[in-house]
Amino acid sequence: MIEFTIDTQLAALFTSAAFIVIGLFAAIFLDNIIKKIIGIAFIEEGANLFIVTLGYKQGGIVPIFLPGMNAEWFAANSAYPLPHALVLTSIVIGASTLAVMLAIAMVLYRKYGSLSTAVILGDKKPDIIKSGVIDSNEKGDKNE
Amino acid sequence: MIEIVVMVVAVLGCILTIMQRDLLKAAILTGITGACVAFLFQFLLASDVALTQAVVGAAIVPVFLALAVYKTQRMDDQ
Repeated sequence: MIEFTIDTQLAALFTSAAFIVIGLFAAIFLDNIIKKIIGIAFIEEGANLFIVTLGYKQGGIVPIFLPGMNAEWFAANSAYPLPHALVLTSIVIGASTLAVMLAIAMVLYRKYGSLSTAVILGDKKPDIIKSGVIDSNEKGDKNE
Repeated sequence: MIEIVVMVVAVLGCILTIMQRDLLKAAILTGITGACVAFLFQFLLASDVALTQAVVGAAIVPVFLALAVYKTQRMDDQ
């Protein structure tokens, strides 16, 4: 049997890099504003994964000190627990910023009647103008 | 070796999410990616972060996205 092992830490670093690249692609090049928000959430997940990966130790144990453990052995073999505490805060803050971004997207949809960034920024007219969705004092193509 | 599989599934879920035209499908695939990242935190010896990510990434974020899709429009009109 062919023995081949991939370093878990290196693979996790590549995974976080892929998350950040895919999230940047979605946030820059896609047109739909909810897709952009999903891309920003992917960037956050990639950053969290990167920070947790820095504290990983190959062949280590989970940093929970049980009674009966030797303290020096524990310090030499456990993963580094400080990034975990930071990322725990970052995940919750990421969820709340996602909620704020989605609320702003819903307000934009109520005003412009579309989720497309080209329509919102005025580069393109919406295909279907729904009655009552578009605000009346918008500079008006009411006549067409 | 199973963590490599979880990483590949997470990245594939990421790619499939931004390829969808149906935004509700995109929200559900975001949940798959969040669950895979939670497993990955467990494999990276961060159990407490894995618990929080499993709740937030696999349940709360897709529900927020699905609520936003329900309040706006479902299809991405390119």
